[in-house]
Parts: sequence; structure tokens; C-alpha cells
Amino acid sequence: MPEPMTSDPWVEKLKDPTQQEEALTALRVRLVRGLKKVFSSGGESFAEDIAQDALIRILEKIDQFEGRSQFPTWAMSIAVRLATSQVRRKHFKDVSLEQFADGEGLKLDVAVDTLPGAAEQIEQSSIYQNLSELIDDLSDRQQTAVRAVLSGMPVEEIANRTASNRNAVYKLVHDARTKLKSGLEAAGYSAEDLTGSIA
Amino acid sequence: MPLSKQQVSSLVQLVASTTPDEIDCDGCLDHVAEFAETLLAGLPIESAMVAVQNHLQNCHCCQMEFETFLKALSGMDETSE
Repeated sequence: MPEPMTSDPWVEKLKDPTQQEEALTALRVRLVRGLKKVFSSGGESFAEDIAQDALIRILEKIDQFEGRSQFPTWAMSIAVRLATSQVRRKHFKDVSLEQFADGEGLKLDVAVDTLPGAAEQIEQSSIYQNLSELIDDLSDRQQTAVRAVLSGMPVEEIANRTASNRNAVYKLVHDARTKLKSGLEAAGYSAEDLTGSIA
Repeated sequence: MPLSKQQVSSLVQLVASTTPDEIDCDGCLDHVAEFAETLLAGLPIESAMVAVQNHLQNCHCCQMEFETFLKALSGMDETSE
């Protein structure tokens, strides 16, 4: 990986009071253009509003830019995260986390109906049976989070409903996955076996 | 309610691809610009970028964001209205 650049023309201009306004305008134009391409249904002002918020965030984080990418690419990554967060918040505003904690946890249907052969069917059933037992050992919070993720709820929205943050929810689910994987490995199933069972 | 067949498959896939040293969502954001440029340039994914690739595979939230990001990048330099 190349060494991070020590300076970047964008950074220099954005930090220079005599050039900042011009640089902000140029960056805003590019952010709005990119955002409008993706969020065309969000109304004319959506891209403009997000770009404005993004510019504030970009200036706050500017010292974290290490020059490993072009500056506008880095800036756009920040703008897109802001935009998608806002879209998600609206999309999931009426979805409660309670529906993923129905008291049955992550109950699995172990019976398998369509498989190419008996051996594969037995192996898949055995993996699912083990998985089902291992799931019982996950905490309620882990089970709820995993079910929510499997139902398509973004970790960010799970975090919003649990007074947590995106990274913490990702770790909660990661810890659950790690526990399940370790348990299945102890039962003799490799990652390849797992992938093969759902092929 | 039991998991659907598709959810069970997704869970098994998620478990199979779990690694001990996964980066979190902020770690992914820190490197996603570089990852996107590497990908768009058709360059090989270096070892430092494999962690980003793995995170995107395991995090639906970041994966959707990344797809949006790529589309936004493609529109950023378009000049026609």
C-alpha cells in the first residue's frame, strides 16, 4: 500500500481561509451531482441539504484524510453515509425491534426437503440441528440482533433502537457468529462444510 | 416464528465467512474510498483491503452503502444535465 500523502491540494485549499469558499463551492457541486444521480427521488433539495451537512462533517474530519484515495472520493464516502442514514431512518421509522424478539429466538426448521442426495441431506440436517442447539446459547440480545439482521434491518437502525451504536451492534452480531462458528467447528464442521450445505 | 429457509442459508453463510479479526463499520468507512478506487481501476485487492472486502460481505448495511457510493462516484464527474 502506498505511503499516505503529506498534503493534498484540496486539503490545502480547504484549510486556507482565502481559498476555502471557492474549494467548498467546487466540492459541493461535485457532491450534489453524485448524490442526485443516486437519490433522484428524494426531492430537489435532498442532495443539496446532504451536501451541505457533508461539507461540515468533511471539514471536521479533514485531518483524518490520509491521502490514500482522491480527496473527492473520500468526501463522497462521507456524504453517502449521511444520505443513506437519513433514507434508512425514514424507511424504518415504523419498524420496531420487538417483532424480532418473539420469544422463540432463532428457531430453525431442521427438516430439509429438496436436496440432491441422501448424504447431503443428512449432513445439512445435522448442521442445522447443531446450529439450532448453539443458537439457544446465544444471549437474548444477540438472538434479537441476528434475527433483525437476517430480516434486512440495517445494524445502524438496530443501534438506534437499542441506545447503542453501529459498531457495537456489528460486534454483538460478530460475537454471535463467532460463537456459532466455534461450536460448529467443535462439532466437526469446517467453513467449507457450511458453505457446501447451502450450495 | 422460525427462520425462513433463505434466512437459514444467510445465517449459515454469515457464520461460514466469520473471521476473528473483522473490522467494524467505521473501520470500513475509513478505507472504503481507497477500496472503491482500487476496484474501479481493476487493480488487485491488496492484503490491507481484504478486511474491507470481508466486512462488506458480512455487513448488509455497509454493502448497500457501498453500492450507493459507487453509483454516486460515477455521477460525480458527469457534466451533462
